[in-house]
Amino acid sequence: MTEILRVEGLTTRFFTDEGQINAVEDVDFRIHEGEIFGIVGESGSGKSVTALSLVDIVEKPGQIVSGRIWLRNPHLADSIRSDNPDAVDGEMVDLRSINPRLRRALRGSAFSMIFQDPMSSFNPSITVGEQIAEAVEVQRRAKANPRSTASRTQGFGLGQFAMATVLPSKRFVTPAGRDRAIELLELVGIPDPAQRAEEYPHQFSGGMLQRAMIAQALASEPDILLADEPTTALDVTIQAQVLELLEEIRDRTNMTILLITHNLGVIARTCDRVGVMYAGEMVERGTLTDIFRDSVHPYTQGLIGSIPQLDQVKGRLQPIPGNVPSLRAAELGDRCYFADRCPKAMKRCLEKPPMFDVDGSEKHRAKCYLAEQPYDEGDALPEDYFDG
Amino acid sequence: MATKTATSDVIPWDKIDMLLRHRTGRVLLAAITALLVYVVLSGTGIGPEETSTRIILSMVVGCLLWAHLVYGAWLVKRELQGLFVIWGVVTVVFFLRFLTPGDPTIALTPPDASTDVREQLARRLGLDEPLYVQYADYIWNLVTLDMGRSLRTQVPVMDLILIRLPATIELAVAATLVAMVIAIPLGVISARRRHKPADYSATLFSLVGISTPNFWLGIMLILYVAVTVDFLPTGGRSIGFAAAWGGLLMEGDFDGISRWFAQLILPAITLGTFFTALLTRLTRSGMLEEIGKAYFKACQAKGLPETIILYKHVLRNTLIPIITVLGLQLGTLIGGAVITEFVFAWPGLGRFLINSIHSRDWMVIQGIIIIIGIGFVVINIAVDAAYAYLDPRVELR
Amino acid sequence: MISARLRRSLKREFRQSRMAQVGALILVVIFITTAFAPFFAPHDPTEQRIGTGTTEDMSYLPPPVFSTTENVTVFEDGERVTREVTTQGNWSFVLGTDRHGRDILSRILYGGRVSLSVGLVGAALAALIGVPWGLAAGFAGGRVDDTLMRWADVMLAFPSLVLAIALVGIFRGTPFHTRAIGDPFVWAANSDFVPNILIPRAGHVAEMPESMTFPVTVTIVVALVNTVWFARVARGEAISVREEDYIKAARSMGTGKLTILRKHVLPNSMTPIIVLATIQVAAIILLESALSYLGFSGISLSWGQDIQRGQSDLRRGWWMATMPGLAIVAAVVAVNLVGDWLRDALDPSIEGEGGV
Repeated sequence: MTEILRVEGLTTRFFTDEGQINAVEDVDFRIHEGEIFGIVGESGSGKSVTALSLVDIVEKPGQIVSGRIWLRNPHLADSIRSDNPDAVDGEMVDLRSINPRLRRALRGSAFSMIFQDPMSSFNPSITVGEQIAEAVEVQRRAKANPRSTASRTQGFGLGQFAMATVLPSKRFVTPAGRDRAIELLELVGIPDPAQRAEEYPHQFSGGMLQRAMIAQALASEPDILLADEPTTALDVTIQAQVLELLEEIRDRTNMTILLITHNLGVIARTCDRVGVMYAGEMVERGTLTDIFRDSVHPYTQGLIGSIPQLDQVKGRLQPIPGNVPSLRAAELGDRCYFADRCPKAMKRCLEKPPMFDVDGSEKHRAKCYLAEQPYDEGDALPEDYFDG
Repeated sequence: MATKTATSDVIPWDKIDMLLRHRTGRVLLAAITALLVYVVLSGTGIGPEETSTRIILSMVVGCLLWAHLVYGAWLVKRELQGLFVIWGVVTVVFFLRFLTPGDPTIALTPPDASTDVREQLARRLGLDEPLYVQYADYIWNLVTLDMGRSLRTQVPVMDLILIRLPATIELAVAATLVAMVIAIPLGVISARRRHKPADYSATLFSLVGISTPNFWLGIMLILYVAVTVDFLPTGGRSIGFAAAWGGLLMEGDFDGISRWFAQLILPAITLGTFFTALLTRLTRSGMLEEIGKAYFKACQAKGLPETIILYKHVLRNTLIPIITVLGLQLGTLIGGAVITEFVFAWPGLGRFLINSIHSRDWMVIQGIIIIIGIGFVVINIAVDAAYAYLDPRVELR
Repeated sequence: MISARLRRSLKREFRQSRMAQVGALILVVIFITTAFAPFFAPHDPTEQRIGTGTTEDMSYLPPPVFSTTENVTVFEDGERVTREVTTQGNWSFVLGTDRHGRDILSRILYGGRVSLSVGLVGAALAALIGVPWGLAAGFAGGRVDDTLMRWADVMLAFPSLVLAIALVGIFRGTPFHTRAIGDPFVWAANSDFVPNILIPRAGHVAEMPESMTFPVTVTIVVALVNTVWFARVARGEAISVREEDYIKAARSMGTGKLTILRKHVLPNSMTPIIVLATIQVAAIILLESALSYLGFSGISLSWGQDIQRGQSDLRRGWWMATMPGLAIVAAVVAVNLVGDWLRDALDPSIEGEGGV
C-alpha cells in the first residue's frame, strides 16, 4: 500500500485575547491510499482543527505554527524538485513549504471536506446543483489553465464576475459542470437527480443533503476525502446509510478517506486504522484491532469502556472521570495532559511522555509510558495530587 | 367536466398556459402587448401626444402585464394594500387641511378683495359645499385620474406634477446608483480587511455620513467644490435626461451630456451620501455575519476563487437583510430628495412641494403627496419581490 | 431595570472602545455648554453690531486668523472710489459674525439648546406613545395586533420628512406653534432673590436673552412620525417575551395582563428600546435641523436657520454656513457613537461595529 499522506509534528495554535490556545499539538500520522483512517476524540480535542489545518483554512486568530504535511503528488513533485528540493521527498510534496498560492490551488484537488451540518454548510440561496457544479468547475479550470489557478482570484476577478452577470456564456459554472453535478448526485444515490439539482438546500432532507455534500466533495476528484463528523447531525438510520455510502465510494474508486468523529461505533464499523486525539495531541494510533483490543493508553481504554455493548453483559458503563482540559497553553503545563484523569497515573507522568512504539511495531504507537513499562503501583501518583 | 364552449375549442389554452409558464414566453407576451399598445396609441391618437411619453406609457403597460403574469395573486394583494395606504394618507391630509386656521381664499385673492369676491371664489372652487361632499368629489376625481387644479395657477395638478416628476426620478436613481457603486465594494473591503486601516476609514466615513445633514452637505459642496471647479454649476437643471442622451445618441453631441452630468453630480452625491454610509455599514456587518457561517468554510474548502465566494455567495446572502432595511429607509431617500432639490434649485417635485406649502396651494400639496405615496408603494412591492428573488426560502403569498 | 451584569458590560465596552469614549466626551461637552449657554456664550446671540456711525461695524467678521478682501465702492468728495477693504478676524468673535454682526459661537451654543431639547423631548415623546402601542399590539395579538399594526404600516409607508413638512406646514400659523421658555439662569442673575455671588459671571449672564423659543409643533410632529419605530420594536419584543415560559406561568396563575406588561414585558423590552431611543435622538436632531433650514420651525435661533442664512450669504463668507453645520455633525456623530456603544454593550447578540 502506498502512503498518500504523512503528517509530521502539525501544531496549530489560536492566539486569542484571553491567551494562547494549543488546539493541535505535535500531531503525527500517516494515511495509505484507499484506506479509511479515523480520528476519534471528545469534542474540543482538536480533531476538526486538524482537518482545517490540512486544508489550510484555519481562520484568524488561529495559525499553523509548525509541522509538515506530506502529500503524494508525483507530478507536482517533479515540477518543483529543482526549485525547492526541501519540499520534495520522493513522490511526496510538503504542502507547508510550497508557495502559498500553489497550496491554495491544491485546495479542492488534494483534500475535499464533508462538514458536520449539511444544512449550514450549503449556501441556502443557491441551488444544490449549482454549488456542486462550482466544485466541478474549479477543478476543470485548474486542469485547463494550471497557471491561473495559483492566483487569488484564479483568473476570475471582478471584471469577469461583472461580465458574467451580463453574459451567461461567461459564467463561472458551465453547462458541462452542471451535467457533471447531476451525474454526481446520481452517483451518491439521490433519486431524480436532474430535478433535485435545481432545488435549494432547504428543500432537501438532512440525509439527502449530506449525500449531496458527499457528491460535492467527490466533484473535485480529491486525493483525500476529509469527513468531519459526517453523521453527527443525522438520525441514526440515516447515519448508517451515509457510512455505507462512504464505504461504497472507497470500494469503488479506491478513495482515501479521513473520517473524524467522536463516535467510536462509527470508527469500529468503517475504519481501517485509527488515531485517538486528546487535548490537541494524538495519544495513540494503530489498526482497528490495535486500538480496540490491544490499546495501551488509558484514555483509549477509557473511551472504549464507555461505549455500551449489547453482547457483553457488563455491570455498568465506565465513564472517564473529570473533564477535557482547557487547551489554554498557560494551564496545560508540561506533563501528560491525561494524568489528572488517568487511573494509572505514575510519578513519571509529570514529565511529558514521547511517542512509543507498542510491542516494537511502528504501526501501533502511543504517547504513554505504559507502552514501555507495566503499571507500577508503587510509583503511582497520589489520588489527590491534582486536587490542590 | 363542464361543457366546453366554442371559444375554448378555438383558443389553444393548454399551449398558452405552457407559454405563460415559461420565462421567455411571459417576456415575449409582455413585449408584444407593449408594442400593440404603442401601435394603438399612435394609430388612434388617444392619450399623450409626445412620442417619448407614448413609448414610456406602453412600456409601463408591458411591465405591469409581465409583473402580473409572474407574481399573480400576490401582486394584486399588495396593490390593494398599497391603495389602502394611499387612501389613508390622502384622507388624513385632506381632513388635516380643514384643521388649519385661515380661509384659503385669503391667500388666493388680493389683500383688498371684498368678502363678495372671496365668497364667489369659494363657490367656484366648491369650498362652500359640506365637507363630506368635497371629500367624495375629491376621491371620485382621483379615481378618474383627475387631481384637480392648482389653486394659484388653475393649471391641472396632474400636468404640473408630470413635468417635474422626471427630474426627481433622475435624481433619486442617480443617488441610489452612487450609493450602491461606492458602498457595496467599500463594505466588502471593510469586512474582509477587518481591523485594518481600510476598515477604520470606511467605518469613520460611514459614521460621519449618516450624521451629516444633507442640506448642509449640499451647501458645502456648492461652497467648496462648485465655486472652485468651473465645470460644475451651483444648481439648477438646464438639460433633461432624454435631451442629453438623445443628443449624444442621435447627433453625437457631447456638450449636452457633459452638461447633464455636471448638473447631476453634486446633487446626486448630496442625496447619496447618507445612503452610501448606511449601506456601507449594513454591508460590512452583514458580510461579517455571513463569513462566520459554515458555508463560507465549505466554499473555501472547495477551492472557489475569492471573487466568487465574496460576491456570489456571501454578498448575495448579505443583500437579503440589507434590502429589508433599505425598503424601510426609502422614506429617508424621498425626504432627502425634497431637501436636496431645495438646496440645488432642482426643478423636481420636492422643491415644488415646499413652494406649494409656502403658498398654501392645497390641491398641489395633496397631489404631490399622492404621487410620492404611489412611488413609495411601488418601490416597496419591488423590494419585496427582490427579497423573494434573492432568498428562495421566502414565498410570495 | 439596569442589572449589575449590564452595568459591567457597559463599563467593559466603554473601556475597550475608543469611539465610545470620544462620543461620550463630545456629548458631555455639548450638553454642558448648551445647557449653561448663558455662562459659556461670549456674547448675546441676538445682539446686532451693524455700524451706525457711532458704533463700529462688526458684520461679516471672519474667524480670527482668517481675513476677507473685497472691493467696496464709496462716494468720497463727490466721486466714486473703489477701494480694496480687508476685514480681519477678531479674537472676541472666535467663529466670526454673521451679516448683522451677531456672534456665531454664541448662536451655535444657543441653537444647540433647541436642537438637543427637541431631540430629547421628541424621542421621549415618541417612545411614550410608541412603546405602549407596540406592547399592546404584540401582547394582545390577534385582531388588536392587526388593527394597530396596519396603522403602523400606513405611517411607515410614508416618507417621514415629507409627512413632517406637510404637517408642520399646516400648523405653521397656529398660536401654539412656538413657546417662549424663560431662562432660569438669566432670571436668577436678574432677580434679587438669588445673591449674585452664587452665580459665576453674573453680570455677563444678566445681559443674555431672557427666554428661548421652543418649537412645539415641530417637536410633536417629529415625535409622531418616529413613533412607529418604537411601536415596531416594542411589538417584536412583546411577542418574543410573550412566548417565554415564565410569562405563561404568570398568566396561568391569573396575573392580570396589565401587571404582566408592566412587571415582566416592559423591563425585558427596555434594552432595545433604550438603544433605539438613542439612535432616534440623532435622527430627530437631523430632522429638526432640516425643518428649521426650510423655515418651518418658526424659530430664528437654531442651527438649521443659521445654515439657511449662511447659504444666502455664501458669497460674503464661508464660515456662516459652515460652522453651525459642523456643530450638527459633531452632535449627531456623538449621539450615534454613544448609541453604538449602548448597542454593543446591551445587546451581545449583535456583533458590534455597524448595523442598524
